[in-house]
Amino acid sequence: MHLFLLGVSHRTAPVDLRERLDFSSRDLGAAVESLATRPSAAESVVLSTCNRSEIYVASSDPVRAREELTAFLSEYHDLPASSFTPHLFSHDNEAAVRHLFRVAAGLDSLIVGEPQILGQVKDAFQTAADRRCTGPVLSKLFHWSFVVGKRVRTETGLGEGAVSIGFAAVALARKIFGQLEGRRVLVIGAGEISTLTAQHLRTSGAGEILIASRTTAQAETLATTVSGRTLPWDDLMHGLSTADIVVTATGSQRPIVTRAQVEAVIGRHRPDPLFIIDMAVPRDVEGSVGDMEQVFLYNVDDLQTVVQENLSRRRSEVERAEAIVSEEMAKFAAWQRSRSAVPTVVALRERFDRIRRSELQRLDAKLAGLSPEARARVEEVTRLIVEKLLLEPTEQLKGLPDEETQVAYTEAINRLFRLREGEPVPGPGETATEVTPADRRGT
Amino acid sequence: MNLLPLVLYAAAGVVYAIHFARREPAVGRAATTLLLLAALAHTFVIGMQTMEVRHVPFANPSRAVSSFVWLLALSYLYLELTTDERAMGVFIMPIVVGLQALPVIYPGVENQDPVLDSPWFWAHVSSLLFAYASFALAAMLGLTYMLQFKEIKKKHLGYFYTRLPSLHVLDAMNSRAVVVGWLFLTIGVVVGVVWTAQARALAPDNINLQAMSLEDPKVFIAIVTWAVYSFAVFTRTALGWTGRRAAWLSALGFVMVLLNFLPVSYFVTTSHTFQ
Repeated sequence: MHLFLLGVSHRTAPVDLRERLDFSSRDLGAAVESLATRPSAAESVVLSTCNRSEIYVASSDPVRAREELTAFLSEYHDLPASSFTPHLFSHDNEAAVRHLFRVAAGLDSLIVGEPQILGQVKDAFQTAADRRCTGPVLSKLFHWSFVVGKRVRTETGLGEGAVSIGFAAVALARKIFGQLEGRRVLVIGAGEISTLTAQHLRTSGAGEILIASRTTAQAETLATTVSGRTLPWDDLMHGLSTADIVVTATGSQRPIVTRAQVEAVIGRHRPDPLFIIDMAVPRDVEGSVGDMEQVFLYNVDDLQTVVQENLSRRRSEVERAEAIVSEEMAKFAAWQRSRSAVPTVVALRERFDRIRRSELQRLDAKLAGLSPEARARVEEVTRLIVEKLLLEPTEQLKGLPDEETQVAYTEAINRLFRLREGEPVPGPGETATEVTPADRRGT
Repeated sequence: MNLLPLVLYAAAGVVYAIHFARREPAVGRAATTLLLLAALAHTFVIGMQTMEVRHVPFANPSRAVSSFVWLLALSYLYLELTTDERAMGVFIMPIVVGLQALPVIYPGVENQDPVLDSPWFWAHVSSLLFAYASFALAAMLGLTYMLQFKEIKKKHLGYFYTRLPSLHVLDAMNSRAVVVGWLFLTIGVVVGVVWTAQARALAPDNINLQAMSLEDPKVFIAIVTWAVYSFAVFTRTALGWTGRRAAWLSALGFVMVLLNFLPVSYFVTTSHTFQ
């Protein structure tokens, strides 16, 4: 069984083409089901995100699979094949495994290490599995890719550090306060940026959110969106005195929060830190406020710098992540080899057992005098001998280091034991001379 | 006998450092396992010494250092296992290894002064050693707080930012360690005073007991240390001195502890050198 992958991604196709080849906005399940009717797609999974549309199949005929998948894309999306074939990429077997592992690890993402992709890979597999379009090969492959994704996330810094300023602000708040539960937030200004940041804080578990805006209507809208409360503009300083996190993003041309005001409301020995996120340009908070002992002040430029640093740190982790991908690929290849050894092992087992049974049958008359217990014992002993003889060869065969050796070993075993179909099984007479005197005495 | 724990502590220290740099969970577990083994071997060593001199080996400075290291390792393990946070290991292990080297280099002979055959002595020294272990943890928590505080304040989120727990957690753990240490320090000092009075009645000629006064550097610095930590506890609860101020105070306090524990114990004091 071959693995085959065909698709487009942000690396090969422009966004308008990716949109036209997108499966996720339509019924993905129906797409997988329709794909499964193609003869060359014994197992199939469709992975479709805004950055990629990829079809993974396990097929006995990879050449035909390529043709059928291209035709499928064309029919399903109602596009002439010529419009997208120059942008298609495809991978076979090992390269397909590497590709999926890299995708699951976030190495192939537009923003390296972004966290959503692993969930999307899981969903893609689940959709196909629910419709019984997967089988042993893709099931193993995809579950393996989940492990790769998890390993890369826990063992490297590839997904670490926020890469948008909203998330960077929340990550900083977490680093200062630990859990955000119960932390009071004051949002000054109710525009788009405030809304986004407030939403991030809300989903991160922040406590009460107060919104102060000169435009009351806007403040009320935002309060509803983030289940917060509005604060009259005149009470701004009171709100500041009780807040742990302050987000400001007004259009004001002059600072709204001055150092003198902050000093007046938070006092000199405030036990808890105050984290001020100034998203406004020009700035809403006087820069010198950040010099106060318990105040951490970040403006848009600071957060941008954090994001840039995080991105470059992620890039520096790529090598370690690639090493994990390679390591897991080797393990997966070993699993595949052990799997392809199974037919030979089974045939060898059947062959040995046939000989055992035919020998017992031949001795049936001589064993007739034995008690049922003794006969059962003879049966048991012969079975154990066969088991023990087969144990080591089975282990060896499943653990061979590469495909070439495996082909050679399998071939040798097939020949040595004449395992190919149609070859005659040695009859009782052929082995009669091998019965030892000890056996005869035993009867 | 102290060599085996030292080697294991050093190995744990190296693995903690690798874990801190690479952040691989398996390496972290290996570090914890090594530290557990080291603490186990150390427990065995201290047990043997206890059987040998028939009281816990505290009276000789080197053996007291060894017992302190043992308590510090156990306290750290407790902290790690209850918080599932291994980043502090790399900061604690240098103290553990550095101090454990002392009993290896100067094994010393445990003193057998009959005055020491008293449960008061045991309570006095074990309280103080436990307090010192807590203070060592507090100082390292304070140090890491300052490192991280500096990175966030300077807006350069670098090496420590990605590896250490949040400022809030570091500060809360520091606070707990200081309070626990202060309680045991207080108990240790009070027990010491009461025990000295009792022992003087029993052994009026003992020169160590005669030297036991505020003029003795060991006693004097112990009182100053107590004052520093009392100040830290008071300012935190009453004035809200948290964060960096608390971190500085716990670092200052631990410098006093080390001063008293090492140079003063080994070279200066006359009151605490039982022969």
